[in-house]
Amino acid sequence: MSDRGLTAAAAIRPPLPEPQAIGISSLLSSAKRRFSHFFEWFGSLGVFSWQVLKAAITPPYEWRELIRQFDEVGSRSLPLVALAGAAIGIVISLEARYSLSRFGAKSMFPATLVYSVIQVMGPVITGLVVSGRVGAGIGAELASMKVTEQIDAIEASAINPYRLLAATRVLACILMLPLLTLAADACALLTGWFAQALVEQLSFRQFVESGFRGATFNAFLPPTFKTAVYGLIIGIIACFQGMRTRGGAAGVGRAATNSVVLASLFLILADVVLVKFILVFFP
Amino acid sequence: MSRLARLGAFIVGTLAILAVGVFVIGSKEYLFRSTYQLNAQFDNVAGLAIGADVQVGGVHSGTVRSIALPHTPGGKVTVVMDLDRSTHEIIKHDSLASIETEGVLGSQFVAISFGSADQAEVKDGDMIQSEPPLIMADLFKKANSILNSSQRVIDNTTLATAHLNSVSAKIDSGQGTVGALVNDKQLYSNLKQTTTTLDATVLEAQAGVTAFKENMEALKHNFLLSGYFKKRGYEDSASLGANKIGSLPLNAPIKTFSYTIKQIFDSQDTAKLTNEKTLKAVGDFLERTQFGVAVIVVASGMQGDSQKELTLTEARAMVIRAYLVDNFGFDDTLLKTLGMGKQIDASLDADWGSIRIIIYPAGTILPVDNAPLAASSSAPKIDKPLQMPVVTPKP
Repeated sequence: MSDRGLTAAAAIRPPLPEPQAIGISSLLSSAKRRFSHFFEWFGSLGVFSWQVLKAAITPPYEWRELIRQFDEVGSRSLPLVALAGAAIGIVISLEARYSLSRFGAKSMFPATLVYSVIQVMGPVITGLVVSGRVGAGIGAELASMKVTEQIDAIEASAINPYRLLAATRVLACILMLPLLTLAADACALLTGWFAQALVEQLSFRQFVESGFRGATFNAFLPPTFKTAVYGLIIGIIACFQGMRTRGGAAGVGRAATNSVVLASLFLILADVVLVKFILVFFP
Repeated sequence: MSRLARLGAFIVGTLAILAVGVFVIGSKEYLFRSTYQLNAQFDNVAGLAIGADVQVGGVHSGTVRSIALPHTPGGKVTVVMDLDRSTHEIIKHDSLASIETEGVLGSQFVAISFGSADQAEVKDGDMIQSEPPLIMADLFKKANSILNSSQRVIDNTTLATAHLNSVSAKIDSGQGTVGALVNDKQLYSNLKQTTTTLDATVLEAQAGVTAFKENMEALKHNFLLSGYFKKRGYEDSASLGANKIGSLPLNAPIKTFSYTIKQIFDSQDTAKLTNEKTLKAVGDFLERTQFGVAVIVVASGMQGDSQKELTLTEARAMVIRAYLVDNFGFDDTLLKTLGMGKQIDASLDADWGSIRIIIYPAGTILPVDNAPLAASSSAPKIDKPLQMPVVTPKP
């Protein structure tokens, strides 16, 4: 690599902080700063959520934008989610068959597939895929609107940007995620059955009969509709990261990345709480 | 495709998946089928879970809706089950609910047996009987105690066999009483001799009994005792029922002769004939006519003990029969007797009773009726030799 390349790289990078004398006091102050940044982030997120909620529940409602977002989050994500679900179905089918036949419990295969898809894999895979696709999209879109001062322009024309931009997207995420989860579940079960039927005789009816034996609504509905919480997390975090962006094209990129990373992280953390919640309240 | 159409297709498609899921699971939970509830109580449900299968005749026909602990320590665990309406005709009040396990270590389910056809049908919310579940741990405990006790049994048997061994060895070598019995030839021949003597004794005893019987017969005719029998009118009480019938034939008679007891018999309480010549008309008629069956029916008035009167009427009928058979020529097997005992009729009291000799045409069938025979005062007659013991003065 040439000198020019190095200088070019150095020019793009933000200036490094001045080398400081490493002392206990500086370490402490740095930790304190990070600590306060952490809480500041949560504080601003809380304020932002409150603004969005206020905008969402008071008229006028932005129907056209809402429907556009339904389409964007829901139907346009369907192929991706369906494909992910189908892949997961095949993977679980192959793995489960191998593990179950080792323990001589191959007759439990349909139930294993149905339970693992409906209760765990379907919701989580859908949440992660949508957080990747929609989270990044919302983060980047709002961030670029922010850095090009379009949001300021919307505000100047007496339209609440929280109502028009954030509330519609968050609501679309909340409502569309359970539907996408259903689609992912259906695809996973179909491909799971198909992968099994390729290697041994298993009619679809037989698969459904033994797979759903003893299945209850508590095993089906709460895991499916908990993804509305995933939708809330994805929508709020992506909008928040997008609308607080600063600093040009680099800021847009950061916002997109942070949206995806934080949304996925919180989604999985929320799942820990949600699983326990469902086990306690929907035994 | 417009944005709206695409969105609509997406929403309809995913909601259809939701509906299918709800219906598939709902049918497993019997949510969309007509069901009824049954309760059963158990001391222990052996880990039965809510939502577990309920099988009727091995067919999945319902689910466990709830399981409730009792409110008092002495109570039982109540299991509430939702059952498919189609099982309503099979499950009756005597059906038995039991908790069983799929395989050895599988999940628990409730099995309900078929009821009996004659039992009442169960109603919604009824309680059916139950039998305690088979718990593996209990089974192992029991098996353990059985094994322990069978070990003791085996020990005892070993000991007993050893004793038996020593006993049989002693017998074999001729020690003790049994040993002598087995080994001593003399004892056997003694026993054989005793048996032969016993045989001869029994034969002699039989001969003695026959002689005694003959002596008794002779005694009846002895002048000291014959007065009693003469006065009574007949000798052998055992032959009273020899020609008795249970009831009259249903055919119309060809002739009926009617008399009173007073006309023919000596007194009110004996069966001794006095004016037997009166019966000549009957004897002549029987000689002349081809008849099927003739029945001598004797009834008495309301005086006297019922049982004695019944015997007396039977005896009088038999005495009349003996007179007719002895003095007139006809087929005596066709002449039957029927003692009616006491009958309610004022005229019977005045005349001591009535006698009717009813003669039926040829082809009359006697009714088969054993009840009056069983109620008869006379002893069983089947295996008695037919005697002709009636004392009748010759005409």
